[in-house]
Amino acid sequence: MNVQTVRVLYIDDEENNLLAFKASFRRQYEIYTAISAVDGLKILQSVSVQVIIADQKMPGITGVEFFKSISETFPDPIRILLTGYTDIESLADAINHGDIYRYITKPWNDLELHNSIKNAYDAYKAKIDLRNKVAELEKTNDELNRFIYSISHELRAPLVSVIGILNLVKMENLYHSSGEYWGLIETCSNKLDYYIQKTLQYYKNNKTVSDKTAINFEKLISELIDVYSYSDRDTHFSINIDQQEQFVGDSFRIEVILGNLISNAIKYQRDNETYKKVSIDVKVNFQDAVISINDNGIGILNEHLEKIFTQFFKSNNHHGSGLGLFIVKEALNKINGTIKVSSNETDGTTFKINIPNAQPN
Amino acid sequence: MHNQINNNMVMLIDDNEVDLKINTKIISITRSFERIHQCNSAEDALSYLNKNANNPSDLPSLILLDIQMPDMNGFEFLEAYKSLPKSVTGHISIAMLSSTLDFGDIQKAEANVFVIKLLKKPLNPVELKKLLTTGS
Repeated sequence: MNVQTVRVLYIDDEENNLLAFKASFRRQYEIYTAISAVDGLKILQSVSVQVIIADQKMPGITGVEFFKSISETFPDPIRILLTGYTDIESLADAINHGDIYRYITKPWNDLELHNSIKNAYDAYKAKIDLRNKVAELEKTNDELNRFIYSISHELRAPLVSVIGILNLVKMENLYHSSGEYWGLIETCSNKLDYYIQKTLQYYKNNKTVSDKTAINFEKLISELIDVYSYSDRDTHFSINIDQQEQFVGDSFRIEVILGNLISNAIKYQRDNETYKKVSIDVKVNFQDAVISINDNGIGILNEHLEKIFTQFFKSNNHHGSGLGLFIVKEALNKINGTIKVSSNETDGTTFKINIPNAQPN
Repeated sequence: MHNQINNNMVMLIDDNEVDLKINTKIISITRSFERIHQCNSAEDALSYLNKNANNPSDLPSLILLDIQMPDMNGFEFLEAYKSLPKSVTGHISIAMLSSTLDFGDIQKAEANVFVIKLLKKPLNPVELKKLLTTGS
């Protein structure tokens, strides 16, 4: 037995049973007895017991009813029911409704009851340990998220200053003053900023609770194209949006999903392509939005199609971060969306997404 | 409320010396303002505004306010700014200027009655110009 004292509450309307129980178990456990459910409740309110034993047949209230009545207020102690008669129906009821751990028939056998109390205490400990572990893990997880989040902020602020200085260099016409050095600094800074932004997106996706906002795809997509085609104006967009229905969804995640896919479609064009094009089709239905994004870029090898949504997957010939599509998939998982991809010479690369419409009516 | 912003004076509030320098330079290259007043803390800015409450010619028409600062951050500054006399707040527009990507920060900035716009760092001359001519 554990060094820690186990506190047992025994409720029975027969005083003799209470006395007998106390006599048998007082050396092993800290015993509290109550002659009625009301007295039992009073003890529960002042002492934290780990095991409750109640007689089934008591005046006014049965043991099962008593357990049911404390299921919300005292969910933790493990319950044992003592029954003087073997009434199958009441036992079934007990097991189904009262969270009863064991039932023991009266008159009890000391050894059997002793083992039951011991096991009940172990079950109690396991339950509490698990709960503490879960709380501990949640706390660690939360701290880790907050840590990475604040680190990313702190990392980004000075980087943005560097990009600001680069802007000044351009404004003062010094960009080409040192060979290609400024250009190299700019490339590196933008790459670092991209990684930091993706890291933030990833952790925000993990953490943020889902919000429900009305989404106008026309507006959202044109804003995203503005942002991502900023540095690359050669791509031709053909956008076809059919939104008659209202669409309600998680605005942060939908923005992350479409933003990554649109930025990829722009980024992975063929250098020698004379007509770079990206088509975006959106059809909003009552139950979902079906979005398809197609480009005539470099395409994805067949053997890579399975792997592109895994973290840090990069194909040899392109310099992606291996984060964008992984984040897309993670964000879709959070909002019960799906994604399919196909890629071939003639039709180019197409991502098809389905996002459920959280419309309330 | 505000439309065009007059160009006599801008106040920069930022704890980061490098960013103060960069933004001062961008504003002076683009000749957006005649005078630039730098404050390296929100407290510093408040005491300047209080001191010049009856001195309209020394009050800025625009404040560019950083969000993350030690002691008093941008949002705390806005709280304190609320209780400044109308003679001060009446002709000042405030834009926040931050590297934040935090959705909460963005929403908080948009919801604040004094903030006409949240600008992203690095300060973009085109965006600044647009802010000055249209007030948004």
